[in-house]
Amino acid sequence: MGPPILGYVTTRRGFTVGWLYPDLMNIYGDRGNILTLLRRAEWRGFRARVLELPKGTVEGMDDVDVFFFGGGQDREQALVYDDLLEFKALPLGRAVAEGAAMLAVCGGYQLLGHYYQTAEGDRFPGIGLLDLHTEAGPTRHIGNVVVDTSLGLNPPTLVGFENHSGRTYLSDGLKPLGRVRVGAGNNGQDGTEGVVEQTVFGTYLHGSLLPKNPQLADLIIGTALRRRGISDLEPLDDRLELDAHRRVLDRELAARR
Amino acid sequence: MRTALAVAAGKATGALSRLTRRGGGTTFPGDVARAIDPDVLRNLAANLQGTVVVTGTNGKTTTSRLISALLEGLPATVVANRAGANLIFGATAAAVAAAGLDGRLRADWGVFEIDEATLPAAVDEIRPRAVVVGNLFRDQLDRYGELETTARTIQRALEELPKDGVAVLNADDPRVGEIGLGLQRKPLWYGLDDPRISLPGLPHAADMRTCPRCASELEFAAVYVGHDGYYRCPNGDFQRPALEVAATAIDLEGLDRLSVTLEGQRVEVQLGGVYNAYNVTAAFAAGRALGLKPAYIAQRLATVQAAFGRQERFDARGRRCTILLAKNPAGFNAVLQDAIRLARAQHFLVALNDRIADGTDVSWIWDVDFEVLGQAGSDMTVVPTGVRAYDMAVRLKYGEVPAEAPEPALERALDQLLEATPQGGDAYLLCTYTAMLDLRALLVRRGWVRPYWVT
Repeated sequence: MGPPILGYVTTRRGFTVGWLYPDLMNIYGDRGNILTLLRRAEWRGFRARVLELPKGTVEGMDDVDVFFFGGGQDREQALVYDDLLEFKALPLGRAVAEGAAMLAVCGGYQLLGHYYQTAEGDRFPGIGLLDLHTEAGPTRHIGNVVVDTSLGLNPPTLVGFENHSGRTYLSDGLKPLGRVRVGAGNNGQDGTEGVVEQTVFGTYLHGSLLPKNPQLADLIIGTALRRRGISDLEPLDDRLELDAHRRVLDRELAARR
Repeated sequence: MRTALAVAAGKATGALSRLTRRGGGTTFPGDVARAIDPDVLRNLAANLQGTVVVTGTNGKTTTSRLISALLEGLPATVVANRAGANLIFGATAAAVAAAGLDGRLRADWGVFEIDEATLPAAVDEIRPRAVVVGNLFRDQLDRYGELETTARTIQRALEELPKDGVAVLNADDPRVGEIGLGLQRKPLWYGLDDPRISLPGLPHAADMRTCPRCASELEFAAVYVGHDGYYRCPNGDFQRPALEVAATAIDLEGLDRLSVTLEGQRVEVQLGGVYNAYNVTAAFAAGRALGLKPAYIAQRLATVQAAFGRQERFDARGRRCTILLAKNPAGFNAVLQDAIRLARAQHFLVALNDRIADGTDVSWIWDVDFEVLGQAGSDMTVVPTGVRAYDMAVRLKYGEVPAEAPEPALERALDQLLEATPQGGDAYLLCTYTAMLDLRALLVRRGWVRPYWVT
């Protein structure tokens, strides 16, 4: 892209990614998801920016197009917990109701549900944005994951890496992101992985998720921009991303044949 | 008797492994010996005058090498797991290889680099005189769970040190600081003290940003590598412990050499980069913990050459090549920054593998600031390679770093890099752990470096 002329800058549309707790909830390469959302908007001519939403900050949440909520270590997760429930839950719910999109991964995904139940049986309430709950499991699910989606994506598969001990259960009527072909997914029992409800996407996949699944990145960006009256996204050259996707897919499926 | 039998069996396995060229025989003989006598390492270590154990995320191999050099000059014979085989089997294999068939060690001192998770077993069996903890960064979360768990494991192990054992800790690392401040006995604190070489701020990959007591955001007056630097809780609940061994007047010259002042002694070494300033300071502190004199330590450190795969140099078709091992965001950031800032590097190969020893989760590459490669100039060559070459290529694309097409075959990628590097120019090979082993095997085949078990 050449240097933008002034008129171009002033007419370019904005695109804002709201990153919840970027300093504390960022353990599994979550920056990859942020960079993918930003670049894919920029490459289409949007003026993309990140709005960091650390503890104590709520300003600007109404302007966010896509929220990202990643995973953290236990200590960090405990640190954001009060702030999330006390300050962020309300504006988040409002923004999502008005059509903002959201991607939540691992720890962030769990906190969107009704509660997280520890091994000792203590229940920590989530923000209840989604009709699901999570229970601590005795072992960690760790490894590469291949998911078959039915969201009309091309390719229909998602590839990523999971590392979680929580078992997440969706309530009846809630739609998973897809079904696992390789890996454990939501709970290692019912074959589901993640969730998609209106404009909210939850998943256990990192790796990072969006760089190798550009079709999902565009679904999320497109979902968010619909309320801005934009219905079609200009296609990008995704050969490299899709080659990376296919390489993981081929290797994981071959290993299980 | 049992130990002698275990030693004999282990030695036979090692010889067979080298003979059949299955590698250097750096861990399997340990498995065999331990199967025959589970106490083989304990019994062999008891023959030594003393041992030093080195742990932490980055810098174990180089720090161990530096400490070995201190002891060898006494003079003394040192047994060490030099090839980076740092689980208990690797330490056992090294001890077995240095033992006689009578089941006794033919060495005076031991220096073992030990993986963080293996530290409790190592302390129990080896009874070290000193344990050096260099740093704790995010690394291979797929294997070890989270940093909290690792920190607790290390703390537990340090509480079990023998009476004459000293914990030699990097005070600049807030997580190591937290470990040390919780110990019953006071550790020996070391660190860097030269704000001139500070980074402008905390990198994205910094793991420890908050006070362990009050959860306030830590303030950093200086940042040297990752989250290592001069930190302070704004409420006064936690701060970098006072240094007993402080490196001042740090001069970094290329990736070849650096000099620091430690306890009034100028120390010049043939290693470069900020992370080696830490390794040198750690080794100096360990030497002090063992009662060695500053002037002697400085003289010995000056003799040390880089360990295999760590800033190791070789010439290939008239190009000067440097292998840079980097296994995690903190290490990668340090290596990238030093290569660009100190060596003005322009030609890179980046080899990413995802085998067990590398960590099977490659998410961490998104936490590395590869963006510096795109900002460093227009004449860059970056060749992504390794098992996950495509993931690396996508990372570079989203970092807006102009890069070559991914080339998973290391041999072709190497030739491509040499082709792109002018005659007499410098090429840098950034590798994850197993990619470095693959690369060295390839270089050995071409006669460009020696096998690691003879370095």
